[in-house]
Amino acid sequence: MGSGIVGKPIARPKRNATTQSYLPSIVAGIGVTVRHFFKNTKEMAMGQRNDPVLEAYDDGVTTISYPEQKRPYPERFRGLHRLTLREDGSPRCVACLCCSTACPAQCIHIVAGEYKDKDGKVGWERYPVEFVIDELRCIFCGYCVEACPCDAIRMDTGQHAVPYDSRDQFVYKREMLMSFGDVNGNKQSENPRVEPAKGHVIDRLKH
Amino acid sequence: MIKFISDYQVLIFGLIKIAIMLGFFLNMAPVLVFIERRQAALIQDRVGPNRAVITVPGLILKGALATPALLAAAAVAGVCFALFPANAPETGVVRGFWMAEFAVLFAWSHALILAGFVRISGSVANPLESFLHEMEDPRWIFYTGLILHVTLAVAYGGLSGPNAVAAEKAFAMGGPAALAGVLAIVGAYLGYRIPSGKVDLRAAGLFHSIADAIKFAFKEDFVPPHADKLLHSLAPLISLFPALVTFAVIPFGDNLCFGQTDGMLDITKLADTTARGAICAEGQSTVSLQIADLNIGILYLFAVAGTGIVGAAIAGWSSDNKWSLLGGLRAASQMVSYEVAMGLSLAGAFMIYGTPRLGEMVRWQAENSWGIFVQPLAFFLFFAAAVAEQKRTPFDAPEGESEIIAGYFVEYSSFKFAMFYTGEYAEVVTSSALLTTIFLGGWTLPFLQRDGLHIQFGDTVLFHAAVSHLTLTILGVLTFFGKVVALSFGQIFIRWTVPRFRYDQIMSFGWKMMLPAALANLVVTGLAMLVVDSAGPSVTSALRLLADLSNAVVVAAMLYVVVKFAMLLLSPVEREKFTASTAAARAARFGGTPETPMQA
Repeated sequence: MGSGIVGKPIARPKRNATTQSYLPSIVAGIGVTVRHFFKNTKEMAMGQRNDPVLEAYDDGVTTISYPEQKRPYPERFRGLHRLTLREDGSPRCVACLCCSTACPAQCIHIVAGEYKDKDGKVGWERYPVEFVIDELRCIFCGYCVEACPCDAIRMDTGQHAVPYDSRDQFVYKREMLMSFGDVNGNKQSENPRVEPAKGHVIDRLKH
Repeated sequence: MIKFISDYQVLIFGLIKIAIMLGFFLNMAPVLVFIERRQAALIQDRVGPNRAVITVPGLILKGALATPALLAAAAVAGVCFALFPANAPETGVVRGFWMAEFAVLFAWSHALILAGFVRISGSVANPLESFLHEMEDPRWIFYTGLILHVTLAVAYGGLSGPNAVAAEKAFAMGGPAALAGVLAIVGAYLGYRIPSGKVDLRAAGLFHSIADAIKFAFKEDFVPPHADKLLHSLAPLISLFPALVTFAVIPFGDNLCFGQTDGMLDITKLADTTARGAICAEGQSTVSLQIADLNIGILYLFAVAGTGIVGAAIAGWSSDNKWSLLGGLRAASQMVSYEVAMGLSLAGAFMIYGTPRLGEMVRWQAENSWGIFVQPLAFFLFFAAAVAEQKRTPFDAPEGESEIIAGYFVEYSSFKFAMFYTGEYAEVVTSSALLTTIFLGGWTLPFLQRDGLHIQFGDTVLFHAAVSHLTLTILGVLTFFGKVVALSFGQIFIRWTVPRFRYDQIMSFGWKMMLPAALANLVVTGLAMLVVDSAGPSVTSALRLLADLSNAVVVAAMLYVVVKFAMLLLSPVEREKFTASTAAARAARFGGTPETPMQA
C-alpha cells in the first residue's frame, strides 16, 4: 500500500501590515488607472493614438471605430463580384456560361445575345444581354472567377455585401456589376486583351 | 435700483448664492456621468462614447467662439488705454507685465492647439498652417513660449538703471497692446477658420449624458403591480433631496465686504482691501458666500444626509421585489454603520478648529494649515466613510449588479431612476465639497491671506504683496470649485480601480476597523491638544513654523503635478509597427488604416 496522495505544500500568503491595511495597493492601483487615463487622453487629443491595424500590438487605444474606420481586407479577399470592362466600356464577358455552370450555389443567371451586324465582334463573340448574380445565394467560393476564360468576372472589389431592406435588392444586375472597380477603382482587367475587331486576333490565333 | 437691492439685499444675495450652488451641483451630475464614461473607456484603452452629434450652423459657431475673444480684446484695450490709462507708473508696469505674460501664454497655447488641429485633420488652409503641418516637432512652440516667459520675467526683474523709464513705459503700453492684439488675432482666426457650412459637434461624448437625461424624461414610468404606489414614488424624492440641500451650509468663498450708504449695504462700494480677520472694517457690511451660516453647521449636514438612508430603504421595501428588498436592507445597514464612523472621524477636527461652523473651519485652515496635515487619519477615515455613504465602489454592495441586479432601484425606470442617479452623483459632489471644506482648505490657497500674499516661515517674511479684495474673492471661489471638481474626478478613479468588498467585509471593516480608528484618533487628538496647550511658547512657534512648511508642501505638490503634466504632454510617442499580416501590409501600403475624420 502506498502512502496515499501527497499534496505539494503551498505556503499561505504573507499577511503583513502593507497588504492588510489595503491602502498601498489601492494607491498603486489608482496610479495605474490614472496613468492610463491621462496617457490615452493626451494621445487621443494630440492625434498620437495607435493606428488600429499597424500598431495594434502596442500600448494605447487600438479600437477600430467602424464604420468611420475599416480594417483593410487582405489582398486576395473575395468580395463582391464585378464585370471587367474593355477599353470601349463594353463587358469583357462573352456569355460562355462557364461561370454559371461552375457555380455550386447556382446564383448566376446569364442570357446570351449576338452583337449587332455592324459591330466588329459579330461572328466572333456573343455578349450577356442579362447578367444577374444573387449575392444572397452566393457562397463566395470564387469558382466563377476560376472558370472564366476571359478574366471577365472578378471578386477583387474589396467590398462585402451591405445589408438591404429586401431580398430583391441583393440581386445585382449587369449594369451594377459593371459599375464596380477593384480596390484601386480600376474597372478594366489587369490582363490586356487583343480585341477581335482590331484585326490582330488572326495573328494571335496563329500562335 | 440700488436702493431696492440695498433694501432686500439678504433675499437677493440669498437667491444669487442658491442659483450659483444649485447650478453647480446639478450641472456636475451630467458632467460626472460623462467623466465616468470617459475614464472607463480610456482606462481600458477604448475610444469611449463619441457618437452623439449636434450639428450646428458654422456661422453660429463662429460667432460663439470669435465674439468672446474679440470682446475680451476690446475690453483689454478699452480698460488699459481709455478708462484707466497707466498714469501711476507703478500699477501700469505691474499690469503691463502680467498682460504681456498672458499674451505669450495665449499665443503659444493657441499655436499648439492650431498645430494639433492641422496635424490631426490634415486640412491646410494657408502657409502658416502648412508650416505647422510640416513642422518636425511642435514641442518647439512650447519651448519658445517658455523662453519668452522667462525673458519677460528677467526683463521685468531687472527694471532699473538709466533706461528704466523707457523700459517701464514699454511694459505699461506694450503689455496691454500685446494682449489685446493676441486676443483679437485668435478671435479673428477662429472666425476665419471655422467653416461656414454645418459643423458636427461631438464634445468628446458630453452630449451622451444630456441625451440620456432627455431619453429618461420620455420613457415609460413603470410601477410594479403590487408595489406601494405612494412610497414607490416618494423614495426617489427622499434620496435626491438630502443630496441637494446639504450644500446650503458649504461656504464657497470668503466674506465679501461692502461699503454703506445711509447705514445700508451699497453694492457699488466693494471694499478695495480688507484686514486679516474675517470681520469687515467699521462701517462696512458683510456678505458671506454661504447660503446659510448655521451655528450648528456640520451637524445639520449629518442630520440631513442621514435621511438619504430612508430613501434607499423605502425604495427597497416598496418595490415588491426580492432584489430590491435585499438592496434596501444592505443600503440601510451599511449607511447606518458608516454614519457612525463618519461622525466620529470629524470629532477630532471639531476639537482642533474649535467650531462646527464650516466657514470658520476654513478660516482656521487659512490662518494655520490645511486639515489634511492636522488630521491625516481622519481625512482617510472620512473619505472611506463618505464613499461608503454614497454606496459607490468598493462599497457598492447595495446595488451590486452581479449579485442583486441593481439593488434597491431595480424596479425604477424613467425619471425616477434618473433622480436616483442624479442623487448619487450629487452626493459625490457634496462629499467632495465637504472634504474640501474640512480637510483641503476650502476656498484658501497656500500663503494667500485675506489681505494679500505672505510667503513667510515662522516670523521671517520672504515676500509680501497686497492683493485686492475682489481678486482674492474671485480667486477663492474659483479655487473652491476647482478643488471640488478635482476631488470628484479623483473619486471616480476609485470606482474604476477597486473591486467590490464582500458584504460581511464591509460590515466588519466599518465596525471593527473604522470605528476604533476614529475613536483612537479622537483620543490622540485630545491628548495632543492638552500637551500643546500646556507647553510653552516655543512649542507654539515650532508648530507655527510647521504650519507654514505644510503650505510650502502644498505648493511643492502643485508644482510637481504641473511639471508632471507638462512632461506628459511633451513626451514623444514611438510605436512599433506590425506588418506581418496581409491586412496590415495593405494598411501599410495605404499609409495607415483609412479613416474619415472623426472626433473622440
